[in-house]
Formats: sequence, structure tokens, C-alpha cells
Amino acid sequence: MSLGVVLVDDEPLIRSGLRAIINAEPDLSVLGEADDGAGVTAMVRRLRPDVVLMDVRMPVVDGIEATRRLLANLDEPPRVLVLTTFENDDYVFDALRAGASGFLLKRARPDEVVRAIRLLAAGTHCSSQPRSANWRPAAHPPPQPPAALTAPV
Amino acid sequence: MPRPRELLAIPARRSTWRRYAYHVIGAALVAPYVTLTGFVALALQGGAGVVAAWTIAIAACCLVAPIATGMLAPVRMLEIAAARLLLGVEVDDADLIRDAASWSTRWRSAAWFVAHVAVGGVIGTLTVILPPVVVSACSAPFATGDVQLGRLDATVPGGPESAWLVPLALLSPAALVYLAVGAGALLARVAPRLLGPSPAEQLGAAQRRADRLAERNRLARELHDSVGHALSIVTVQAGAAGRVLDSDLAFARQALSDIETSARNGLRDLDHVLGLLRDDSAARAPTPTLADLQRLVASTRSAGIDVTAELTGRIDEVPQAVSREAYRIVQESLTNAARHADDAPVSLTLNVGAEHLELKLTNPLDASRPRHGGGGRGLNGIQERVASLRGQVTAGPDAGEWRIAVSLPLHPTP
Repeated sequence: MSLGVVLVDDEPLIRSGLRAIINAEPDLSVLGEADDGAGVTAMVRRLRPDVVLMDVRMPVVDGIEATRRLLANLDEPPRVLVLTTFENDDYVFDALRAGASGFLLKRARPDEVVRAIRLLAAGTHCSSQPRSANWRPAAHPPPQPPAALTAPV
Repeated sequence: MPRPRELLAIPARRSTWRRYAYHVIGAALVAPYVTLTGFVALALQGGAGVVAAWTIAIAACCLVAPIATGMLAPVRMLEIAAARLLLGVEVDDADLIRDAASWSTRWRSAAWFVAHVAVGGVIGTLTVILPPVVVSACSAPFATGDVQLGRLDATVPGGPESAWLVPLALLSPAALVYLAVGAGALLARVAPRLLGPSPAEQLGAAQRRADRLAERNRLARELHDSVGHALSIVTVQAGAAGRVLDSDLAFARQALSDIETSARNGLRDLDHVLGLLRDDSAARAPTPTLADLQRLVASTRSAGIDVTAELTGRIDEVPQAVSREAYRIVQESLTNAARHADDAPVSLTLNVGAEHLELKLTNPLDASRPRHGGGGRGLNGIQERVASLRGQVTAGPDAGEWRIAVSLPLHPTP
């Protein structure tokens, strides 16, 4: 059975790139895409993905608010992997506080992207799992996210 | 009160001799004024009476000349440097006071200069007079007949009854050192008040610092939004193209084209931000306001963008804070339009009403060129400026146009 992914990013070229990377894996498939956080909860309820890749900065409803809604309104919410351009982005920590399971840098290599999705879908959110420099799972509950996440790998 | 041990250590301290050097400089500065006094007195002697002439000459040269000297900006700079180095005082940055110092600042530095010269004159004179006095006082017990004290008019009788003078004479140089240290401490205490910036200047400097910081933040945000965004697209698209090269050649081809476009856009934005960073004069120039709007429109036109501007209302009566921000908003809107609209004409209307400043900027959307993302990027700066003034902003496509409308309250609402 393949893992379902939903992509949320306001940049179509980021979405199309990630979609190609994910769909190229036999065990992963992109179920849906959104360019804004507003409709994500409804989409997730309909498509039931395992992982949502969520951009942080978006117009109208940003990734932080969308993550919060997702986790508040669904009984079995998917894992949320936050997409970010820069590591030292305060919004990322806000998204992790809102309940995201980890963050993925947009500069991550394709194999890192798919590995992060697989690990997250398998329920990984502790620091004992192998990690790469370009994505980090969050420790749940995030104690003090900035400190925990910027610790040397 | 310092303890005796500390008092004894004073002559051995390096700071003591630095302060002494400061007084010696003050003494050296006295010389020209003394010479001038002599000349003026000599010239006046013919007409007025001797006493009156001296009074005028002394008043003029001992006060007016050094006060005038002390008001000069370079003298102020030198005094600040010397006070920092030799008196060890912390005076706020000299560059806080830009080109034209206020009259209160000039008077304060004049007061400092006079104090420096006067204290230096006293201590310098004592330094010159004292050694021969000490020598002659020490020789008095062994002399016969009256002994002149150095080059002073005073004499003491020779012989053993003047022996009490010897310890006094030997202690007097030490007393002079303590006097110099004490005077230096006094000067150091008033230095921040006389040499430091006035509250208005401090406020101005704080404003400039805040402006610089805001500008840096804006540039950082611009780099983040533009170059970071473009490179993210390049990375993701290139990674994807590599993955599907064998299976989906059409995607790979499209990805290459998108990579090219994104990289080019990123470079153009980088060029823009680097230009702002390099433009040092922009950082020093006064913050532009709506009064500079015509110039901004003209320079935008000369950059090849077709701008029509319609400015109505009493623009010169807009409060400074609103005026500055409104200028920046127009500037950023025009930059955005130039970036995204290519050669499409831009229309700007600005109206100053009784309560609000209304600003609208539109340009026709190029239907053949889909806007990639775009929603929000480049607008963050404008939104933050508008929010800081409790205004309102709407931006987005509207009937075939890209429209940004801003409303700023002219007066703060309680």
C-alpha cells in the first residue's frame, strides 16, 4: 500500500517539482495539492493522506494556522512536514509549536525528501532516528523547539 | 572618600599622567590667547587708559576668543577625542552630531573649551613656576640674607629659621599632582554633559539607527522573498528533473525552462538588493517623504516604465511619519510593478483627504503570462508598513488589472 501525500505551497513550481519527486517513488503518491492553507482541512478529510507537506508562508491562511486547524479538527490528523526555505525561520518554530511533526528545507535532496516522508509516515518523531542535515523531525511534544531543533546532528 | 592606600597609589597610576597630559595640552592652548591679549593691550594703550585697555583686552581675548574657538565643529571633535583618550570619559559618538550642530551644542562645547584652557592654564603655570621655588625654598635654611623664591616676588629670610619650608617645598609637587588629578576628575564628570549629544541629537541618532535597522530588515526580507524563493524553485525543479529524466522527458524539459526563468529572476532581484546595499549615499540622505514623490515618479519613468501619476490634496500637510511611510509604499509598489508588469503602464493615484491618505496603484495584467505564485511575495514590506500606521491595504487582481489600494489614517486614532 502506498503512502499518500498532500502538497500545500503557493508556488506552483515548488509543487510540480515535489510532485514529480514523490510520484517517481513506487510507494509514494501525491493525492492532492493546494496553493493556500484555507482548504487544507477539507482536502485532507476527503483524501486521507498520511503526510502533508506544508509551506509556512502563504497568503490568506499560512502554514502555521493551517497546521493548527488540521490538528484541531481531525481525529486522526496526518503528519505535517513543514516546508521552509531557511532553517532560521521563526515561522517554522511557530509551525512546530502548532503541532507539525518536522520540517523539510526546500533545498533538501530528492532522496532526503522521500526519506523524510517515509520516516514521518512510519511514526518517527524522535531524535534517535537517522537524520539528515536538510530535514528534522520534531521532538513531541516540542519542549523548546529552537533549542531542540538546532542541536548538532 | 578614597582610602589612604588609594590616595598614595594615585601618582603611580597611568591615568594620573594622562590627565596631566590633558592639562598640559590646555596650557599649550592658552599661549596664543595670552599673546593676543598682550598685542591688543599694547594697541589700545595709546587711546584709552592703561587699566581700561587691559580690562578690555583681557575680557576680549580670555573669553571671546576661546569661546569662538570652542564653537568650531573640528575643535569639538578634537576635544571629544582628547577627553576620551586622556580623561578616559565615555562620550557618545561624535557622529551623532551631524554637520550643523545646534547652538546649544556649540555653547556647551565652548564652555568645555574655556574650562579646559582655564584649568590647563592654571596647572601648566604652576608646573613651570614650582620647580625653581622648590629649589630656592630648600636652599633657604643654608643661605644668609633673604632668598627669592624662584622667580616670584616673594622672599624668605635665609638661615635655620626657614627650615620649616623644606618639607613643605618637597611636598608641593605631590600636591600639584593631586590638584591635577582632582581637576581632571571634575572635568571628566562634566564632560558627558558638555561634549555629549543633546537630547534632540540623541533622538535624531536613535531615529537614524532605527531607520538603518528597518532598512536592513527590509533588505533581508527582500533577499529571503526573492532570491531564496528563486533558488528553492531551482533546487526542487532540478532535483525533480533528475529523478524523472528517463521516464518523463517533457517534464524535464519544462523544468529546465522554469529553472532558467527562476534563476534569472533571482539574479535580477539580487542585482536590485545589492544595488541598494551598495548605494551608500541613500543611507545617508534624509529619509524621503511624499514631497519627493515627483522625483521618484520621474526616475521610474526614466527607467523605462510608463507611469501616470495623479496627486491630489494637501500633500505637504501629511504628518511626517505618514509621509515617509507613504513614500516607501509607493516606492515598493512601483518596484513590484516594474518587476512583475514588465512594460505594462502603471497608474498611480494619491489623494490626501481630511482623515485619510488614499493610495492606489494599478497595472493591466498580462494574460499571456501567468503569474507564478506571486500572491503575497513582495507585498510583505508594504503590508508591514501599512499595519504599523493602522492603515488598510488590499492587493490582488481585479478586472484584468493588478491593483494595490492603501488607506492610511492621517491622525492617530486613540
